[in-house]
Amino acid sequence: MITVLLLAMVVLPAAGVAAQALALWFGCRRSERATVMIVALVFGAVAIAAVTLALTLLVTGRDMIDVQVGPWFATSDHAWRWHLVADRLCVPFALCAAALIGLIGALSSRYLHREPGFYRFYLLLTLFGTGVELVVLAGSLTVVFVGWELVGMASALLIAYFHDRQGPVRHGLRAFLTYRACDVGLLAGTALLADAAGSVDLSGPPAPPAPRAGWTSVLGWTGWAQVPVPGSTVSATIVALLLLLGVVGKSALVPVSGWLPRAMEGPTPSSAIFYGAISVHLGPYLLLRAHALLDAAPAARVLVVLLGLASALHATLVGRVQSDIKNALAYASMTQVGLIVAEIGLGLYPLAIVHILGHAAMRSAQILRSPSLLHDRHHLEQAMGRTLPHTGRHLERFVPVRWRLPLYRYGFEHGYLDVWLRRLRDPIAGLLRAIDHTQRRVADRLGGTRSDTTLEVTGMGQTAGTTAVSLPAARREI
Amino acid sequence: MDLDPENTAGKERATETATTPLAAASKEVAIPAQVTSEPRTDRDSLVASILEDVARLLPEQAPLSFFVHHNTLHAFEDLPFQDAVIRASDVLGTQPFQTEQAFADHLCSGRIREDDVRAVLAPHDEVDGDAEVVPGGPTLAEFRFRRLTTLFEIPRGAGLRWLVDEDDVRHRCHPLVSDARRAAIRHQAALIFELHGGSGQDAPEVPGAIRTAGRWGRSRRADRGEAAAGRPTDKARLLGEVWGTLERQRPPAPAGPAPARRRDQILRLWGVDTDEFVHPVLIRVCSAFLDQGVAYWRMPEREEGLLGVFRRLFGLPSGRTEPVWRGLDAVLREQAAQEWTAARTVVWALGALQLPESAWPAAIRANLLSLRGWAGMVRQFEIRPDRVPVRPPPARLVDFLAVQLLLTVFATRYVLAHHAGPGAEPADLGPLGPVSPPVPASSGGPAASVAAPVARTSAAHPSDPSIDSDPSIDSDTSIDSALVYEAFVLAQVMDVDLGLLTEDRWASAWLRAVADVDDRRRGWLLHQAYERRYRMGVLDALHTHSQNSAKPAQSDEPRADFHAVFCMDEREESLRRHLEEHCPTARTYGAAGFFGVAMAYQGLDDPRPRGLCPVTTIPRHLVVERAVDDIEHAAYRRAMRRYGHVGHVLSTARGTLGRGAALTAIAGLASTVPLVGRCLFPRTAEHWARHVHHRVAPRPRTRLVLERTDDVDHLDSDPMALATPGESDAASGARVPGVGSAPLKVGYTVAEMTDVVEAMLTNIGLADPVPAAAADAMMAGATTAGQADSGAEQLILIVGHGSSSLNNPHEAAHDCGATGGGQGGPNARAFASMANHPRVRDGLARRGIRLDSTVWFIGAYHNTCDESIDYFDTDLVPNRFRSALDGLRAAMDVARRLDAQERCRRFESAPLDIDADQALAHVQEHARDIGQPRPEYGHATNAVCVIGRRSRTRGLYLDRRAFLVSYDPTTDPDGQVLTRLLLSAGPVGAGINLEYYFSVVDPVGYGSGTKLPHNITALVGVMNGHASDLRTGLPWQMVEIHEPMRLLVIAEARPEVLSRVLRDNPALDRLASGGWIQLAAWDPKEPDIHLYVDGAFRPHHPDDRTLPVVTRSAEFYAGRREHLGCATVLGTPPTTSADESTATR
Repeated sequence: MITVLLLAMVVLPAAGVAAQALALWFGCRRSERATVMIVALVFGAVAIAAVTLALTLLVTGRDMIDVQVGPWFATSDHAWRWHLVADRLCVPFALCAAALIGLIGALSSRYLHREPGFYRFYLLLTLFGTGVELVVLAGSLTVVFVGWELVGMASALLIAYFHDRQGPVRHGLRAFLTYRACDVGLLAGTALLADAAGSVDLSGPPAPPAPRAGWTSVLGWTGWAQVPVPGSTVSATIVALLLLLGVVGKSALVPVSGWLPRAMEGPTPSSAIFYGAISVHLGPYLLLRAHALLDAAPAARVLVVLLGLASALHATLVGRVQSDIKNALAYASMTQVGLIVAEIGLGLYPLAIVHILGHAAMRSAQILRSPSLLHDRHHLEQAMGRTLPHTGRHLERFVPVRWRLPLYRYGFEHGYLDVWLRRLRDPIAGLLRAIDHTQRRVADRLGGTRSDTTLEVTGMGQTAGTTAVSLPAARREI
Repeated sequence: MDLDPENTAGKERATETATTPLAAASKEVAIPAQVTSEPRTDRDSLVASILEDVARLLPEQAPLSFFVHHNTLHAFEDLPFQDAVIRASDVLGTQPFQTEQAFADHLCSGRIREDDVRAVLAPHDEVDGDAEVVPGGPTLAEFRFRRLTTLFEIPRGAGLRWLVDEDDVRHRCHPLVSDARRAAIRHQAALIFELHGGSGQDAPEVPGAIRTAGRWGRSRRADRGEAAAGRPTDKARLLGEVWGTLERQRPPAPAGPAPARRRDQILRLWGVDTDEFVHPVLIRVCSAFLDQGVAYWRMPEREEGLLGVFRRLFGLPSGRTEPVWRGLDAVLREQAAQEWTAARTVVWALGALQLPESAWPAAIRANLLSLRGWAGMVRQFEIRPDRVPVRPPPARLVDFLAVQLLLTVFATRYVLAHHAGPGAEPADLGPLGPVSPPVPASSGGPAASVAAPVARTSAAHPSDPSIDSDPSIDSDTSIDSALVYEAFVLAQVMDVDLGLLTEDRWASAWLRAVADVDDRRRGWLLHQAYERRYRMGVLDALHTHSQNSAKPAQSDEPRADFHAVFCMDEREESLRRHLEEHCPTARTYGAAGFFGVAMAYQGLDDPRPRGLCPVTTIPRHLVVERAVDDIEHAAYRRAMRRYGHVGHVLSTARGTLGRGAALTAIAGLASTVPLVGRCLFPRTAEHWARHVHHRVAPRPRTRLVLERTDDVDHLDSDPMALATPGESDAASGARVPGVGSAPLKVGYTVAEMTDVVEAMLTNIGLADPVPAAAADAMMAGATTAGQADSGAEQLILIVGHGSSSLNNPHEAAHDCGATGGGQGGPNARAFASMANHPRVRDGLARRGIRLDSTVWFIGAYHNTCDESIDYFDTDLVPNRFRSALDGLRAAMDVARRLDAQERCRRFESAPLDIDADQALAHVQEHARDIGQPRPEYGHATNAVCVIGRRSRTRGLYLDRRAFLVSYDPTTDPDGQVLTRLLLSAGPVGAGINLEYYFSVVDPVGYGSGTKLPHNITALVGVMNGHASDLRTGLPWQMVEIHEPMRLLVIAEARPEVLSRVLRDNPALDRLASGGWIQLAAWDPKEPDIHLYVDGAFRPHHPDDRTLPVVTRSAEFYAGRREHLGCATVLGTPPTTSADESTATR
């Protein structure tokens, strides 16, 4: 029974995706109502399942519920299994994610009513939900990776939702590239971990090191399953750093944070759910799952704290300068995520969990409310009976005059992070090109033929992508 | 960097930097800060004059909270409509009319009928309609008619090339070609090629299959196969020859648009858009500079103006900027040190781009238009600082241009250095402007120096994405192969001898005929046909209705229970209709929604006054709302302030580190409650929020401070201080939003009030009828006061309107246009108070308007979004009016429910069989839902404006599409009142109508596109997503059901009177003769209507005299979502069956 519940939390959204995708594939445009109903039912059921699981955990007092579905693929000495886990950490997250996605699903039925991409939006939303539940309930890092990628893909596609304009597509691509580059960390970390620790399956919560009394035990409560820890500090540190790379990308930490404000291109509800609530918090979630690893790698832990604090400081400064509501909210989100990461680095896990859940609820509410800014502002002014007081005075009071402009400029230029990244881009691109070149030469030598097709294909792709082709068929697609 | 040496000599005093913050806040901000006493160089004044010219082209949209509908093409108003839209589409790159696909759908659905097309073509056919295009072929008249009714997609560019090269369209019939015509073509081919006449030898085409294939690319097999086999069928051969001849006779390609900027040349050469470097920076600078309070930390030193602050910010030495801007800081510092004016900087930048003076106007125009939303907003801040929500920074368009050009110079240099080598100069790109050939190869030396590096770089970086532009595109033949294709398809479709078209002479004649009806001409003609269909429907209905209703109406009118005066707004049409249906003795009127009370108003909660009057009027009076009880008020203020502080803290904690963390960690989970509520139960959530709010802070009773006892003028100097003692807001200075800094008098004197009331009552024709129409007893009562029999009490309801909604940055666009985008409730309230004033009534009586004690005015406010109606000052209503008031409220209550029901038929979210109570709940939900992008459809579907007596339109179903202005021609022989009404209603109605028109025909170019990614920026506008140009115009969700037609203004007047009014008022004449509105004169005595066409009134001949008859409107609209025609609504079940028109739908 419990097994079924746990499985259902992943299988139901996946089935929802399949149902919608098949219907769309065969060009069957059902009513908007039916689509919304599917999504609401799926995530309603997932939420109920999560509540039931939570109650079961509470009543039975078990630490975790563990389901192994079967092998995914196996090598001679190791099998990778589909493995799901429910414990005290993931159940609140699974519940929160399902509830938020369900709510956004309900809201979007009105928000996106009559929109040409209505069905696409819901398909991607469900896909995203599947990915999130997979990440959250994963019992092994390989499963985490699958969910992680689904989330990234849905995210990038929703940023590029308005694909008839250049900006969204470009920014979707940017997010996608960031994800891809950083996911290398997660993948490599998983592989290394499999090698170093012999397994990537989560193991039961470590026994509390010492029975601490009072509030310290609450602050350091860690009763959830953990990523296995390799024996040596060096490999633990390397694995932790690689996982951190994945976290940096997904949670938009410094220095790759530039994609997050640019992600505000999609419809407002998707921005709310992805960048206010769920997607950005998957990074901290992974860190919570891997805190034992951090314990084993103090250097990585220090880096986590530093990255978190740097992100928070950077984002709060840049965010204060933003003069449009969605960018301001994106940076506000980044600030809190940075703080959460720092909290995890400092070992304040329960605080981080509360912070994540609270932040998710509040930020998505704020983003959803952002188009009503003028309305709310007017009412606030009326309530105050005067023009709203000018904020940021203490910045002006404490910052010396000659620092003010450079500091403002720093915020205005988004901390010059993009410039740095762009500088990195050229050497990396050169390196990749060189690798590609060598690879092709080697292949030519081995195969004996000149296989310069790659270039041609690239060239064709470019021209086809940019010239204004007006195929009647292409235009009809929406 | 190379500062132009010849200009450094003529150094000027930087006059704009002298604009201190104090000066900026002073009263004379309306004057541009540029002081002209200094001698200016010729080039500076040239720049200034170009800017003045170009500024007109920029969108004139005010900050969103002062949104007022206006003609999107205000800059082109001097031209006739059809020329203006074409011209604008050339200049702005927008669509002039609906798409051809839309017209094809209209033809298909019967929205445009064949007789409409014929009627539209008639004037053209009179000239040369009988001439044959080619011998034996269609006459020009037939040709035009077929062309307009045969709409098909004409692929262009690569799409056409693909069709020609890959799909072999040259040898096959278009799927539009009928079977009979195919046979005829085969026959012609057989005759020509002297084969068997039977023509059945070729693979029999399966026309049905071809047509059902939908996309005709698929059905290539039969013909293609044979053509490839080298044995083309006769038909294919003939078609091929026709194509070949047409191709030979093709007229030379029209010159492509000339590059106006270096950016265009660079884009064409390398596919790199320098705007992509410039715009993001410019957008951020403008947004931060204009910000009215989104940013937590606002831009420092904004007082220095846009250019000044840009110089300060980007003049900071920094090695970390993007490589594009390397060196910019040094240039900015040097220019700042030399105190260059903005104009000087512009001149320098144009010089650095190596543009000759002759190219300046085009270059400046193209630059500003490339980011026209922001440029327009900067301009609005410059010329209308009073409409800025909070605090206007000293914005000037020339600063904007200077910043833009500075950035452009560096972006251009960067791209040139990158793509053409370090020594390349902008001039190497070739000359600009229409004279130059666009392809650089022909311009010899300098361009070759660029072209060579191009080849080099493209060889060096094969994967460089920037080289993928195809320079052959513009010189490509495919552009006007489109014309060949069009002519080719038409030759197949129309009844013409294809053999003739293989002759050069006739082929070229055919091409000429085809080119003559090009897409723009088709658009204009079809647009007229589209308008004609609706116009005929409405004019016929008015004609028939007035014929039917004229006889019984006049004499035995029942006495009115009450009168209700509404705004002329077309959204009130349905409310009025339902009120009249429910309450046959009620009488309604329509007037511009400020009811003649042009005032600046400060409500109890408002931090500062704002103008509530048409934008063209400057109010001179300030009206303030005051609480009756000071103690109540103090308690209310305290509670509100607490509430405000909490709200403010919450909203500022958004982006902060510590407070934000504390808030999200501690109280974050609590926000799930509103989140769930807002998402799942929007109406209940808002209801509870309001309930709590009212409990905590009950609003005290208030009165308007309306009367000024004396004419002391010393008060006028500082109205703000008087209005809000102790609360004078430093930030807003003495500037009243929507008013400017004009001196305001507090309140009205009795004489002024009398004027207002008299003018208004006369305008709408209520002045005399109040007593008279209310039967003789009333008249008697008026003269001998107190004798009025009980029950003779009459209420006159004055209803202002506005709209309130969530998730709607364009909320103000739904408010009342006549109050300058404000909410008209206070105007109604003020008017009612004035009209109830005893001394005003005395004054009125002296002027012949008798309002005795049996008449009482009540002001009310109608929220058109959630259909709520608030009544003002009901506690002042004398007791004897109580029962009348209760009856009135009950009637209004029913009417608003029915109104909600009628509105709901337009919302797909509402079931079609919704009942009135559910409908009310549904519209309330729309208004209060953070997830609802369509709170209401606003003015969408507006189409007609009737200025005349309501008795003539009463009982006519107009589908919420008609502005109804009350006007009594019988009391206005010389047309003075009509002139006033036309002057106010005409431009306002046309402004609304045209803004909707343009936002529909080009939702992206003129409108602001879909609302979903909108991002409120700087509290003044919306961008798309992360960063974009400021989106002006209306969002798609607001206009999606609108039918783009020009407003049809029907005035109840003799054509002669109307002609005279037009003659005397050039502004009106420009609207009517220029075709920005359609004007018709409706004879006050006869049902005849004359339409104003080409400067003369031509009688309208109704072609359909039947009109559906229903007893209640609900019967007519029930179950239907689409646009509805007119119908007669009897109101009460028919007592006499004397109706001659009992046609049904």
